[in-house]
Formats: sequence, structure tokens, C-alpha cells
Amino acid sequence: MSSPFDQVLIESDVEQLEQSDLSLLETLDHVLNRGLVIAGEITIAVADIDLVFVGLNVLLSSVETANEVLRKRE
Amino acid sequence: MKLYVYCLAEDIDALTAPVSGISGAKVSLLKLEGLSLLVSEFDGDSTPVTRDNVLAHDAVVRSMLDQTTPLPFRFGTLVTEQKLASYISSHRQGLETKLTQVRGCLEMSVKIIWDTDQVDAGSESQESGPGAAFLQQKRREILGGERRAARAKEVSVWLSDQVGMVVREEQTVLSPTQKLIVAAAHLVERECMRAYRERLAEARKNRPDLHFLVSGPWPPYSFSNIDLEFKTLFGVS
Repeated sequence: MSSPFDQVLIESDVEQLEQSDLSLLETLDHVLNRGLVIAGEITIAVADIDLVFVGLNVLLSSVETANEVLRKRE
Repeated sequence: MKLYVYCLAEDIDALTAPVSGISGAKVSLLKLEGLSLLVSEFDGDSTPVTRDNVLAHDAVVRSMLDQTTPLPFRFGTLVTEQKLASYISSHRQGLETKLTQVRGCLEMSVKIIWDTDQVDAGSESQESGPGAAFLQQKRREILGGERRAARAKEVSVWLSDQVGMVVREEQTVLSPTQKLIVAAAHLVERECMRAYRERLAEARKNRPDLHFLVSGPWPPYSFSNIDLEFKTLFGVS
């Protein structure tokens, strides 16, 4: 039996963003900005150049900024 | 060697299937004071924010959803087992409260984007002199800000009214000065998920002036941070 949690469903009428970009953006928004925090025990490094555009924009939590960056990539 | 911590749950005695974590590491179940934590060994001082690592973190947390609703840790949590045990011990009551709060629920995310040009329409200056134009600009900034704040609030209240009956709890962030005006997280009981989606779909039909980005179901990332809620409740910044 398939699980209802096999994948995140994305519903959007926001133009300019591909479904895969939205999915990753939303995942980043959740895992980087939220969740239990043990004080002083989070250390991350933005090392993968492929992710910089989304990583930075999720830290800003702004779809608008993501749009701008994605347009610059085109 | 530190532990990378993914999530915390109750009433879990074993993993139902092998799960790969950050950097492909084997994820194991660690029991501390009756709570179950998903962890993997990590050799390093920081966690690279890569596509694979981010997706792996979410996949491990998500792997618990068929059995229970876990409390996710934030990406990049690296800790010694001793420090983790100390954290669990000192936050036990808060964690149990949180687990009770999210039990049987999933998180849905709703982001609302508006057209800022539309919001600001009708505020063009009719004056031509430089002094008058300056004052008109200042007036636009003040009135525009007030108008946007009022509209953002209106949209937030509207959204809350639309789904309130099928939401156990919600968190909303307003950003009137940006295109992303409302970012809402809804804690929805599993059996209410269909009703929630139907209500949201109906609500979206009624507001063609707004753009929506709906995603989920998520583990309750937005309802897990006891420290941030403490700061919110008591005004600590």
C-alpha cells in the first residue's frame, strides 16, 4: 500500500518557478528555518554551489527574491 | 565523533525499514529517557547545505510519519551523545507537551503572494513641482505602508477563517512590505486533511486576486521549537 507521505504535494499558481524548484525551496524553508534547536549545536556550511541560489533565498524566506535569482540564472 | 540528530518521537521501538541519512550514513534509533531519537554518526564540524543533505534530512524525519508524528530537529544539529542526553533531560516536560500538541497531526504550509503594483495602484502623484513631488512621495510611502499592513492583516484573518474549523493550531507571519505577504503553517489532524484541502481549494477560488503556494503534508517543523516559542511568549529577542 502506498503511503500518503511518499512525497510533498505542491499546489501553486506562482509563475516563473518550476515545480522542482518550489519543492526544494519549500523543503529548505522547513528544514533550515524551523524545528527543534539545541542552543549552540547547529553548524552549517553552504558548500554546494548548485544549492547556493536556493539556500541563500530560503534563509531570506522570500519567494520574491527567489524569483529574482532564478531570472538571473536564465 | 558527533551525532547528527533528525527527530524525536515517542513509542517507537524499532525502525520499520533501513534509512539513509546525511552523507548516506546509516540512521539508528537512540533511546533516551523513554524518548526515541533518530540519529546518525557524523565525522566533521559542520553540515554542508547541499541538495542531497537537505532532502536526506527531510526523508529521515518523514520516514517516521507512517508510525507517529515526530518533532523534527533543525537541519545541521550536531551534538555529542552526552549533550543530547542533557538536553532531553532538561527539556523533558516541554518536549512531552510538544509531542502531545502535534500527536496525530501533520503540517500544511500556505504562502500567499500578492501583486504589489495592484496594492499600490491609485496612489500616483498629481503634483509636478519638486517640493510637492517629494511630499507626495512621502505621503505615498506612509499611506502605502498602512494600506499594505491593513490588507496583509485582512488576508491573514480571511485565511484563518477559511480553514480554522479544520486546523488544530496555526502560525502566521505577515510581511506587508514584500510580495510574500502571508506565510502560514497549519497543524492539521490526519483525519481532517481531506476537509482541509477542500476548504482551502474553495477559498482559493474565491480570491483570484491572490497567488497561493500550498505544500505538504510536512512533519510539524513549524510547531516544534520550544525555545522560539518561549521567546515569542515572553518577548525575549
